[in-house]
Amino acid sequence: MGEIKRTGKKEKKQRSRQERRTRRAYKIIAPFFAYIALWGILPLFYGLYLGLTEYNGLSEKPVFIGLKNYMDFFTNAAYMQLLWRQIWMGAICLFMNTILSFLLGLALNVPAKTRGIFRSGIYVPCIAATSITSAIFVVLLEPNGVMNTVLKRIGLTPVTWQYSQFWMVFWIMIYFVWKNIGPAAIIWLGGLQSIDASLYEAARMDGADMFQRIRYITIPGLRFVASYIILTGIIGAMQMFDVVMFISKGNPYGKTDILMYRLYRDGIVNFNMGMAGAESTVIGMITIVFSIIYFRIVLKKED
Amino acid sequence: MHRFSKKALRFVWFILMAAICILMIYPLIYSALGGFNSQSEFSSMGNLFPVPKKLIWNNYVFALSSTALRPLINTFFRTAWYTVVVLVMTVLIGYVMARYEFKGKQFFMVFIIVAQVIPSVLTLIPTFVMVSHIPLAGGNDLFGNGGKGLYDSQLMLFLPLSWGYLLWPFLFMQSMKSLSLSFEEAAELDGAGFLQTILKVILPMQKPILTVVAINVALNTWNDWMTPFLYINSTRKTTLPAYLATLTASLQNYGQKDYPKVFALATLAIIPPLIIFLFLQKYIVQGIASAGIKE
Repeated sequence: MGEIKRTGKKEKKQRSRQERRTRRAYKIIAPFFAYIALWGILPLFYGLYLGLTEYNGLSEKPVFIGLKNYMDFFTNAAYMQLLWRQIWMGAICLFMNTILSFLLGLALNVPAKTRGIFRSGIYVPCIAATSITSAIFVVLLEPNGVMNTVLKRIGLTPVTWQYSQFWMVFWIMIYFVWKNIGPAAIIWLGGLQSIDASLYEAARMDGADMFQRIRYITIPGLRFVASYIILTGIIGAMQMFDVVMFISKGNPYGKTDILMYRLYRDGIVNFNMGMAGAESTVIGMITIVFSIIYFRIVLKKED
Repeated sequence: MHRFSKKALRFVWFILMAAICILMIYPLIYSALGGFNSQSEFSSMGNLFPVPKKLIWNNYVFALSSTALRPLINTFFRTAWYTVVVLVMTVLIGYVMARYEFKGKQFFMVFIIVAQVIPSVLTLIPTFVMVSHIPLAGGNDLFGNGGKGLYDSQLMLFLPLSWGYLLWPFLFMQSMKSLSLSFEEAAELDGAGFLQTILKVILPMQKPILTVVAINVALNTWNDWMTPFLYINSTRKTTLPAYLATLTASLQNYGQKDYPKVFALATLAIIPPLIIFLFLQKYIVQGIASAGIKE
């Protein structure tokens, strides 16, 4: 009898301790999440609503107009062109950055004393803000700037980069890679170093050649790293507009203009909040769809 | 023969890597040198290395004295503020999520993970509208109309807390998993409360990951030109990278431009993160590597 009572007390004590901890957990976590939700979830839903309205951001209230913004968006060739350009320009930037950073990661995975210095040098560009370093690129690309000096030195005719869509896209890509290659290369390097060296040894014993070793050990070992780089890359590239805004301003003749830059101008500059809301929903959804498709492909390969 | 080719290969590797590094750093060198030019001397901007005939400190002095001083100070305050706030948040959320069991924990966990992949473009415009319609701020009435809310208010340098920051509590949680429970149990037996346990036991043992968090948050905040650029209009209230964003954007306009001044400001804005990077790069590298590999 007494024994049962005692265990009951102990249980009670334990339960009240658990309750105390639960209450404390809520008390600590809830304010943070509530505040973050205020800056995250609330705008998320308000943005979905804004897309269905016409609103100049100043007057009393947004006017509900249903799906008109979306109809305008998908029937207007200009918008579709901007969307398409966001996708292919982003894809070029992301593709080049992924490939080149992987090669750099491989090159940095060589045991050498100087490796640390090289790693730092490659990382330096990304510690400065885009708003700062793109100014330098703009000056380097001036008609009488450094890039043309180099062309003249090696005996080629100077190019007025700003007049050509091809060259502006090219330099936007170069800037993107210059700025983003460091972190990506270091993540690749981390992935390469986390592969167990004894696997290679065993494969060599079994007579696997270099390509087989890459195919069956390196590539599967890098799967997680690769999906991280590409996934964050998709999200980043679909929302890229600062590089375009600073380096080409969408020119020549709007031929390097992209949807994110248009969204910024529609919303923040021209106060067409309804249309900007619809555009951001479109870009956001497409980004999420791309991410899901990519995840599906990666997960399927795992089977 | 084989040995020789290996040596040659190594040499080629060295030259190639050195060339890449020089190319990567070159724009920054160009900018630092350009800042020492006078406006007229720089007009022939095609020099690969614009070394001035006479060192001119004017531009750097301008950067540190007149218009640009306030933005520089603002950037320092903003960086310090976010570093402290995110550190506190990281320790509290990370610790509770790692050690406590409670109803709804799964929900918070999903929130943290999903927040990492939601594109921030979805909140850009609505946040802008909402901020300028906050009731009773900046001349707004009770319903948030009539004024400009927190638009162009310096509070916008300190108030927003995006869900992207939840990455850091997540990493802290991971790091807590490899820490044995016995230290906290011992502290609890000694009668240490919640805060005491964190301050005396957890913080000293988790110093490495917290350093990673602090440095990465500081760098990101210093370099976040977008928030001030969107929300703040007056140079006096903004940050240095955001002020440079307006200057950079205006480089596309026609007319006389004072390039050396822009370069001096740019160089000045790069120096603080560069110093942090040079001395503490181990932690920066660890930050990106763990963000990429631990998931």
